[in-house]
Amino acid sequence: MSAKIARRFRGSSAGYLLIAPALIVTIVFLVIPMIVSGYWSLTHYNGIKPPQFVGLQNYVDVLTNPRFQRSFQNTIFFVVMGMAIGPLLGLGSAILLNDKLRLRALFRTSFFLPTMTSLIVVATIWKLMYADNGVINAVAATFGLPGHDWLNDPTLALPAVVVTAIWQGFGFETVVFLAALQAVPKEYYEAATVDGAGRWAKFRWVTLPGIRPTIVFVYVIGIIGSFQTFDQVFVMTNGGPIQATRTIVFDLVDRFNKLDIGGASAVAYILLVFLAVLSYAQLRLGEARD
Amino acid sequence: MRSRRRNRVAKSGFLLLASFLMIVPFLWALSTSFKLPGDVFAYPPRFLPDPFTADNYRNITTLIPFPRYFLNSTIVTGTIVVLNVFFGTAAAYAFAKLKFPGRDAIFFLLLLTLMVPFQVNLIPLFKMMVELHKAIPPLGADTYFGLIAPSAVSVFGIFLMRGFLRSIPDEILESARMDGASEIRVLRSIVFPLAVPGMATLAIFTFLGAWNDFLWPLIVTSSEDMRTLPLGLALLARRNNSDWGTTMAGTIVTAAPMIIIFLLMQRRFIEGLTAGAVKDGG
Repeated sequence: MSAKIARRFRGSSAGYLLIAPALIVTIVFLVIPMIVSGYWSLTHYNGIKPPQFVGLQNYVDVLTNPRFQRSFQNTIFFVVMGMAIGPLLGLGSAILLNDKLRLRALFRTSFFLPTMTSLIVVATIWKLMYADNGVINAVAATFGLPGHDWLNDPTLALPAVVVTAIWQGFGFETVVFLAALQAVPKEYYEAATVDGAGRWAKFRWVTLPGIRPTIVFVYVIGIIGSFQTFDQVFVMTNGGPIQATRTIVFDLVDRFNKLDIGGASAVAYILLVFLAVLSYAQLRLGEARD
Repeated sequence: MRSRRRNRVAKSGFLLLASFLMIVPFLWALSTSFKLPGDVFAYPPRFLPDPFTADNYRNITTLIPFPRYFLNSTIVTGTIVVLNVFFGTAAAYAFAKLKFPGRDAIFFLLLLTLMVPFQVNLIPLFKMMVELHKAIPPLGADTYFGLIAPSAVSVFGIFLMRGFLRSIPDEILESARMDGASEIRVLRSIVFPLAVPGMATLAIFTFLGAWNDFLWPLIVTSSEDMRTLPLGLALLARRNNSDWGTTMAGTIVTAAPMIIIFLLMQRRFIEGLTAGAVKDGG
């Protein structure tokens, strides 16, 4: 028997050796913390005294907490608004760019710039522009429009932060959709033309099915990213005014800073469940295509 | 014919407006970084600084240790990129081209971890780093090790490289093995050279993620000396509300390396970032 096992494993040592660093890093810095976090979510723990097991109490507390509920609503608003507008703008401009246009390279480069820069940079610049006496209000004034203190107004702050996110994601969406459009075989369009298809029919029956995997990809990446919104809020509004821009991850970090580690871990697991459901939905959408 | 031409003009007009809206905020930040404090909110807004001052850039080197942040970001990002490319390619080679028991099961379990958002690990990871720092002071929280180690290998990188390495023909590897080359030697003298384009894509992804990372540096560092650029900038932007000129100088210094590298390697960036999104052959 041992000879059989030895034969099976002969030449395998190189394989294990090569994956060892990746495996160790993943286990130590990802799997173990994840399990610990799951345990802490079932305890009262302030990081100093030993954790006390309380069952699902943290989940009940978090889900019934008005601040968390507000954070959750804000995050959903962020996801829905961002995803309703951003990818459509991206697809629209990709369709325009797909025609051979002069300056196409310039457009592509300029669209992509915000995607390259950190959210912190983007948020800092927009905070300056959104200021009460900032350039956005100044431009509005030249058109005779009233100014607003965008980031300090409880009804405007969240949409203002969403606009920043859409602005940052627009280039990525455009460039990804453009690549997808260019990968749709030209013969399909020619065949559709022969069959007498109009513009809309071609878009509906050739373009859309052709870029479907990319649409799923853009939405999944976008939704997962929006669910984790934190950086912009940290810089632009710090969750305010009166919790108007507080997000799920902001709530998590806030609990951590207040040493409610059990609660923060419960928030993390609620986020995990949401994202796992989304990933599963992506798999199903991908399967439905085949 | 005429309507088609008008159509073209309208399209170009729309795209010009869109690229204007994408570029102008950066130009506004650049312009503000050269303005005196009193001119930042001048009405009507002035696009060219008048008078022109470099004081803001002096401030971010003397008042605020931006050079130190820059150094930290460079060390942390550089190390993370090198480790990811090296370990990621090695692991991807094993998953793509070597046979060993449990290979596919291990790979599948690794892929599952991609679903876990970083926030889930954040706090235990931080506690772990704090304990490590108490035990071994050069490691753990508030050290380069603490900033780098959790990002040393990414499963996404392995996944990306595995797809790439699968396209290397087995015959090349077999003939090297027949000549008596060890797996490590095959990796070094055949796989690495052939994998350079894939490694470049992986390096770009990793660079982008590490240079712009914020949440982990925010949590794991506590001393001014260990801050990275985005962290230093975020704290400056929050604290220093009145001094926008200096803050914008910090913005420019943080964004510039990324933008310059992007402009130099644009094609590779765009191809790399779109590679996963589009399946060839429709």
